[in-house]
Amino acid sequence: MVGLSIGEKHFIQGGIAQDLRTDGRNRLTYRPIIVESGVIAQANGSARVKMGRTEVIASVKAELGKPSSSAPDRGKVFIFIDCSPTAAPEFERRGGEELSTELSAALRQCLLGGKSGAGAGINLSSLSIVDGKVCWDLYIDGLVISMDGNILDALGAAIKAALSNTGIPKVNVASAAPSDEQPEVDVSDEEFLLFDTTAVPVIVTLTKVGRHYIVDATSEEESQMSSAVSISINRQGLICGLTKRGGAGLDPSVIFDMISVAKHVSEQLMNKLDSEIAAAEAMEEES
Amino acid sequence: MAAKGGGAPPTYSPSPSSFKKSRPSIFTDVDWVRPDGRDFHQCRPAFLRTGAVNAASGSAYAEFGNTKVIVSIFGPRESKKAMMYSDTGRLNCNVSYTTFATPVRGQASENKELSSQLHKSLEGAIILDTFPKTTVDVFALVLESGGCDLPVVISCASLALADAGIMMYDLVAAVSVSCLGKNLVIDPVSEEENYQDGSLMITCLPSRNEVTQLTITGEWSTPKIHEAMELCLDACSKLGKIMRSCLKESTSTS
Repeated sequence: MVGLSIGEKHFIQGGIAQDLRTDGRNRLTYRPIIVESGVIAQANGSARVKMGRTEVIASVKAELGKPSSSAPDRGKVFIFIDCSPTAAPEFERRGGEELSTELSAALRQCLLGGKSGAGAGINLSSLSIVDGKVCWDLYIDGLVISMDGNILDALGAAIKAALSNTGIPKVNVASAAPSDEQPEVDVSDEEFLLFDTTAVPVIVTLTKVGRHYIVDATSEEESQMSSAVSISINRQGLICGLTKRGGAGLDPSVIFDMISVAKHVSEQLMNKLDSEIAAAEAMEEES
Repeated sequence: MAAKGGGAPPTYSPSPSSFKKSRPSIFTDVDWVRPDGRDFHQCRPAFLRTGAVNAASGSAYAEFGNTKVIVSIFGPRESKKAMMYSDTGRLNCNVSYTTFATPVRGQASENKELSSQLHKSLEGAIILDTFPKTTVDVFALVLESGGCDLPVVISCASLALADAGIMMYDLVAAVSVSCLGKNLVIDPVSEEENYQDGSLMITCLPSRNEVTQLTITGEWSTPKIHEAMELCLDACSKLGKIMRSCLKESTSTS
């Protein structure tokens, strides 16, 4: 954790109030985002995202599994985030557990939607192979390599990129299976179906410092925050999830204002991410 | 205010919205009738009692319909020697379920996610500078999970903290709203939670009108969020009044 002198704190807060942050950005400008996809050959899909000095890797692996009895026509998705000690020494062993649980919970909320499956970024019914017997289990793992603030947005972007890169193998089901036995499933090595990511939302975190909100805070700016709201918005402009961090209370009108600002920012971020992901995929195909 | 077995417990019912009747039913051919016969915008009757556990510094028991929660506060007491010196107090929250809390018998496990959410809800309300170098432990036990567990745990925990004499800016009231199709249903039971399309949970300080925690899942449009938040804030202020009267009653009888 970076220690700041009083002068530095005033400088950060004053700069934000005047729409000029320490690295020259405006309040609602993101750092340059770099996306690389297909970085992990053994995973079904993977991506690496850098936002300034924050770097995360997301990988998606698909394995055959049995659907749960309460939802026999849907596959399952598991999201786990791991904070590596390379990011900060206090993450060694159990130190990063609290942050990991918080990030995993926030991402699960944003991507998996309500209990009935409405508003989910990932369509779980598309992961089902044989109702009640066989389905795809999607394991999404995120790794935080370097932390400089705004990890949740970076992880959201990395997961979106990794899902765009994911290929689910084609499956042939032996049709002559009696109903009470496990059907035989033949997983093809050659053919892949690309995942549909049009409904995957982006996450925008608005950090409140003093009376203003900034987007994409660095860790110095995050240390000065009173509270932060992370809003997940999909392409249709609907809110897929919202979490508030930080202990300070917020007036409800401030929250409504943050939601409208986030919607405005998310459009630009979504377009930027989509073009970066497309460029990354094109580069991967060339190499 | 709080009933003892016999008479009907007082309900806190947010003002029923007039346009709920003109909303189409959630499933196209079935009208959703709440299992306990409430209106869509009516919360369950609340039973709150402090001083449930003698050994603890403060404690509270809350019963909202079928959701029964007991919270004990221990502290402020000495922080573990391994922890660094800190000139503000520390808050340690722990939420666990009993094995018989859910319809299917489960492990009596601590729920890390709920614990961290409870921590986030309470830390904004407690004046931590009043107990430096010490820790306050909040232990919540869900005896029966009948839906809307976390909001009940949060409200009960803040009541227990008040009973323990921990200084706070305000009581913390929490309410959640479920979205079932086009309808907004406040204070859902577990059956409604299983079918929900989205949920919104607010934790607020009623007299200061400040939101300390807001969690939204599912797909929401902005006007829907506005409507749900107003519903919740209204319910929270009523719940705050009930919590206050419970505390007053416990001091007048003791």
